Amino acid sequence: MTIYLIDDDSLGNYLTEALLRLENFASQICTYESAEDALAALLRAPTPPRVIFLDLNMPVMSGWDFLDALAPHRHRLLGQCQIYILTSSLALSDMEKARTYDLVSGLIHKPIDREEIRAIQAELTLENR
Amino acid sequence: MDAREAAPDGANTGVRPEALVYLNPQGEIVHGNEAFAALTGHAPAALQGQALVQLVDPTDAEAVLPQLQRGLRGESLTCEVRLRTAAGSSERFALTMFPLHPTAEAGTGVLLRPVEATARAAAAVQEREKRLSIIFQTIADVIFVLQVEGPGQYRFQFVNQAFTRVTGLEAAQVVGNTVADVIPEPSLSLVLDHYQQALQTGQPVHWVETSDYPSGRVVGEVSVTPVLDAAGRYSQIVGVVHDVTERQQIEHALRDSSERFRYALKATTDALYDWDVAADTLFWGEGFEELFGHQLAQNPTPFSQWSAHVHPDDVARTVDDLRYTALHTTRTRWQQEYRFERADGRWATVFDRGYLLRDEAGRAVRMIGAMQDVSERKEAEQRQQQLAQELFQHNADLQQFTYLVSHNLRAPLANATGFAGLLDRLQPGSAEFGQTLQHLHTSLRRVDEILRDLNTILSVRGRALLTEPEPVPLAEVLREVTDLLAEDLASSGGEIRDELPAGLRVLGRKAYFHSIFYNLLSNAIKYRSAERALLVTVRAEPPAEGWVTIHVADNGAGFDASRARPDAFQLYQRLHAGVPGRGIGLFLVKAHTESMGGRVAVASNVGQGTTFTLQFRSPAA
Repeated sequence: MTIYLIDDDSLGNYLTEALLRLENFASQICTYESAEDALAALLRAPTPPRVIFLDLNMPVMSGWDFLDALAPHRHRLLGQCQIYILTSSLALSDMEKARTYDLVSGLIHKPIDREEIRAIQAELTLENR
Repeated sequence: MDAREAAPDGANTGVRPEALVYLNPQGEIVHGNEAFAALTGHAPAALQGQALVQLVDPTDAEAVLPQLQRGLRGESLTCEVRLRTAAGSSERFALTMFPLHPTAEAGTGVLLRPVEATARAAAAVQEREKRLSIIFQTIADVIFVLQVEGPGQYRFQFVNQAFTRVTGLEAAQVVGNTVADVIPEPSLSLVLDHYQQALQTGQPVHWVETSDYPSGRVVGEVSVTPVLDAAGRYSQIVGVVHDVTERQQIEHALRDSSERFRYALKATTDALYDWDVAADTLFWGEGFEELFGHQLAQNPTPFSQWSAHVHPDDVARTVDDLRYTALHTTRTRWQQEYRFERADGRWATVFDRGYLLRDEAGRAVRMIGAMQDVSERKEAEQRQQQLAQELFQHNADLQQFTYLVSHNLRAPLANATGFAGLLDRLQPGSAEFGQTLQHLHTSLRRVDEILRDLNTILSVRGRALLTEPEPVPLAEVLREVTDLLAEDLASSGGEIRDELPAGLRVLGRKAYFHSIFYNLLSNAIKYRSAERALLVTVRAEPPAEGWVTIHVADNGAGFDASRARPDAFQLYQRLHAGVPGRGIGLFLVKAHTESMGGRVAVASNVGQGTTFTLQFRSPAA
């Protein structure tokens, strides 16, 4: 299973990756510090990643911009790729906005913890059946 | 004719002579004059020696005889008697008998007057008196007659009804009383003086008098005329009072009202006008020159005195609309707000309201209106609107600020929490443990940095109002900053070209300009292009309209301004991926610039470079 971590904060990426590895979340974790790079990789890949952890607040291309850029590829991604917004923002407005994207499976406040990782794993197992 | 006849005949005086007969002590007619002959028809000669009693109508004889005898005895008396005339008729006469000598020895004189004539005369007098009385009583003016009794002593002899009406005093209360009893002080002294003057000069005296009577306050035009008696003394005064109370009240009311109007005109600061539509001229009140400074060579002026000074952009809805309203509608009211040029070329905001007078056919004849200078109010309104907008913006900024700070503060804190939790699950002494500990420190340092940023930002916002701006020599500040960045510049191979005029000063705070140049130039170094050596040019435009414009232009990497939302100066806005940055530099540039009353804008093209344009107030020359 391949997953993407997209966050301009390298420390954030390091932390999330370490936590995921401790839970044996994925065989391959690709980290991107720029949403543009992640988008390019995603469009190049023959199959999309199973899960994307997406930061919102990034320069040049924000998390929202990334989601908007995925809109044309929605059909290819729905059911194949779960996108979780991973943000330090506590703003309600971000939660509301996240609900308007059907590609977004959930919004997680940083730092992600063990329970949250396990919940996602459980969800993935259910879907794979 | 004998001497005795001369006076009563009065031939020389032209007065009609009385009819006279003289009787001897026996009552026989001695002589009758011409008038007697004319009255009775008897020739005097024919009657001579005849007793008067024989002429008495027999039906009267018995009643009259005793009187005649008394008269013959020397008593003076008058009686009525019918006498036979020569024509045979009998006519009634009043006989006045008087002795020619106290003892009656010399005979008796008899004066005859036809009774009908006497009665007629009396009736005529009565009639005349009646008419006069009607006039006196119905005339609106007060008429009174005073008897002069001595110095300062005057008694009312007559007053008419108008006297009662005007003064409220009944004739009975007045007639027979002295002036001092009737007229109150201080009027009394005044009228006594005037009466005295009339008596001394023999001429009418006029004055205006205000007196308080039971009927109220009375203002009258008084005229008194002294009247001579038979003895040549001024024994009477006739007075006439024309009541002008009402007229004076009306005059006062009119004067007050026009005075109020005049003061109202003075009090108003509006420019009043009167547009004669047919002549197309405007008559201006004094406000026009005062308000707008235009000197009127004539008044009324042509219509263009107004229309030529209306702002060109407002002409259609003002001048054209007024003409249309006047000529093509039946409306009577017109109002508009527009800009009007003052004599010194500045624009006043005017609120103009007028009333159109139309003739029976509905054609506009005149318009009366007022131009009110509402510039100050308008400016205050605009300032208030601007203030409200600024406050709104400030509030929105603060909300955004709070959001950003909480977000950016939370990011490193969330990391720190995560790393601390991770440490728990790692083997102490392992490489991963060491790395995580390192990251925990880094995250906590980031928290500290953000808090320092916060302090800096708040100090800019708070301190801006506290200090008076001073002229700051920009070239000098730029040199200091360039020196500070010399090492970074040298290592990147960049160049800063200082094209600021040596003496250029702008109003502000030196520390802020230092911060502005430092942030702009260090950004230019940080985001330089990898493809060419960095060149930053700092230059100024010549001051224009009180503003100094400064450009800081580089040939660096540039950024896509359309990606910067809401703008490049937003706090924690980062415009470059791959190059670390906190997103506070441009925020501070803007905050410092605006706190000194300046403004900043940016233009950038990816791959070509970025130009910042700053504008500041230039110090007054």
